[in-house]
Amino acid sequence: MREITYRQALNEALKEEMERDSTVFSAGEDIAIYGGAYGVTADLWKKFGDDRVKDTPISESAIVGIGIGAAMTGMRPVVEIMYIDFIPLCLEQIANQAAKIRYMFGGKTKVPLTIRTEGGTGRSLGAHHSQSLEAWLLHIPGLKVVMPSTSYDAKGLLKSAIRDDNPVIFIEHKMLYNIKGPVPEEEYTIPIGIADIKKEGKDVTILSYSRMMLFSLEAAKILEKDGINVEVIDLRTLLPLDMETIKKSIKKTNKVIIVEEDTKTGGTGAEVGMKIMEECFDYLDAPIKRIAGADVPMPKSPVLEKIAIPQIDDIIREVKLITS
Amino acid sequence: MIKEIIMPKLGETMEEGYIVRWAKNEGDYVKKGEVLFEVMSDKTNFEIESLYEGYLRKILYPASDTSIAVITVIGYITDKPDEEIPEKPQISEKKVEPKQTEDAISKEAPIIKQEKKSVDEGRIKVSPVAKKLAEEMGISLSDIQGTGEGGRIEKKDVLYYAEILKSQGNPQYEVMQWTPFRKIIADKLTYSKQNIPHYYLSSRFLMDNITKEKEKKSKEKKITYTDFLIFWTARTIKDFPLLNAAVVNNQIRLYKTIDIGLAISIEDGLIVPIIKDVANKTIEEISSLRENIVTRAKNKTLSKEDMGEGARFVISNLGMFGVKNFSAIISPPGVAIMAVGTIEKEPIIKSNNITIAETMWVTLSLDHRIIDGTYGGKFLQTLQKRIENLEI
Repeated sequence: MREITYRQALNEALKEEMERDSTVFSAGEDIAIYGGAYGVTADLWKKFGDDRVKDTPISESAIVGIGIGAAMTGMRPVVEIMYIDFIPLCLEQIANQAAKIRYMFGGKTKVPLTIRTEGGTGRSLGAHHSQSLEAWLLHIPGLKVVMPSTSYDAKGLLKSAIRDDNPVIFIEHKMLYNIKGPVPEEEYTIPIGIADIKKEGKDVTILSYSRMMLFSLEAAKILEKDGINVEVIDLRTLLPLDMETIKKSIKKTNKVIIVEEDTKTGGTGAEVGMKIMEECFDYLDAPIKRIAGADVPMPKSPVLEKIAIPQIDDIIREVKLITS
Repeated sequence: MIKEIIMPKLGETMEEGYIVRWAKNEGDYVKKGEVLFEVMSDKTNFEIESLYEGYLRKILYPASDTSIAVITVIGYITDKPDEEIPEKPQISEKKVEPKQTEDAISKEAPIIKQEKKSVDEGRIKVSPVAKKLAEEMGISLSDIQGTGEGGRIEKKDVLYYAEILKSQGNPQYEVMQWTPFRKIIADKLTYSKQNIPHYYLSSRFLMDNITKEKEKKSKEKKITYTDFLIFWTARTIKDFPLLNAAVVNNQIRLYKTIDIGLAISIEDGLIVPIIKDVANKTIEEISSLRENIVTRAKNKTLSKEDMGEGARFVISNLGMFGVKNFSAIISPPGVAIMAVGTIEKEPIIKSNNITIAETMWVTLSLDHRIIDGTYGGKFLQTLQKRIENLEI
């Protein structure tokens, strides 16, 4: 199978969906002529023109706002928020408008809006451009939150997000854009809400997503040489969470480690871990372990940035502890 | 007060260390923070400072090439130079006092590894899945040593313990396997006790006449009390045919010949062969048959023929062990068993006088489905009269 980058996979998904459905359009800061800060929308403007690929003013609230309005009036907008760190600027639009409109209008209107954004560390961009704020969005009923880790998942899930009749927050990772992975030529989609077992194992389950999924897989590969058989599950969708796959795995391994890049307190792992407590308590053989980002504003120093988020060695150490 | 000096754990991986030298001699006064001894671990030497002030009362491990496990007590510091100290401590199991822990954490001081304990203030630390598994396997958690974090019992500890139980058994007992023979006995007696409504009648027999007769007869051929019992019982059953019954497939069978079972103890159990048609045999014939059958039972050469169609009236004699009286369990498909105790001299009252007589206690166990108390009582009374008087 051909291998393409995560960026190309997203670009293909957008292009194919815009070709397939004339109500799909893109809008965001510098996404048209410049092709997007991370190049995801490259060449789309040339192909589809001003009407369907729009540069917007620097106003996140306006970007999401026009997306909601367009969605309510029959379009399928894909808007881009350049950094997830800017989400607070449009949280009113997301939390109070996009997420609630369908409910508050008794289902008479819907909001088929996709908000693409990107987060995470790795480029030494400091406290305003390196956050992982997905946990904030998990707290808003009415949203779906998708965080793919591979090119294949990115393409298939973005297509599903665009076709979904509800607002979907699609969170990419700045360090994944250049990573290549197999993606078939032919059309496919991946359903939202289904986790993926990236590596089967029997000793311990690692639940992860986005870039930390790759760290977890790398750690699992190294641990395999020490005879520790790790099962790595890519959550892919954080909301709704695929508890069936998680439960099945925990019944087998009885031990869970959640690896997440966001800050630990009130983070994604807190929610996932608590759901496991509620639904899988009888199958646990050890306390649920979280390997998460430090509770600090992200440092600009590349050395400190590395210390502030989980590393492969941390995963290896914790897996060894929990399985010893 | 006595304070323990322990082999410190100077790093995550350190399991044992060597004492390179003691900086103080026994009896020396040591100040807190003074170098007390030097430890070599892995490659590095560390000077260990005293955590306490007092007299170095005893050095348990002098400097040597022998490794010492971490947290082993290696000496004592006391308040007084002549304070009493324990005989032979090995490994400190005491929890470290909070204050000492603070000291221990301070710069360069030893990190003290605590014993892993699965029990915390009376509560067993166990993972949910391990708890469930132990329950399912019928294993008590208090028997298991946990190896998880802080001594928590995990699934693997339960499985490991189950494996030990399987391979070595519980150290507190051995497991004896059921022999097929034992199993048959167990099943049969359990069946009897659960299905046959037993009741018991006891009577004291006077045995003076029979003893005299036995001595007389034995001049020619040795006759035993059991032979006499078989002889007279068979003749009495003739008049009480229900005692000769058997219940087979819910059918009450009244047999025409009187066969008597004899409970014989053999190496690994109990067997009840049958002496056939005893009512028509002389005491000598009975004695020979009895001798023969007992010998063959002991040699395990009994045939199917000897077992008949299962027991009927059975005599069980434990008199030779001095047992005064006992109640036996009916041997199905029979409906009665007679338990015979020892023969001994007892004071008895005869015509308002106390005299001495040979006595023997007999206890009949009867199946109330077939035999009522009056019938059983009359049988026992008749048997008693005949044995005491040696006449029909």
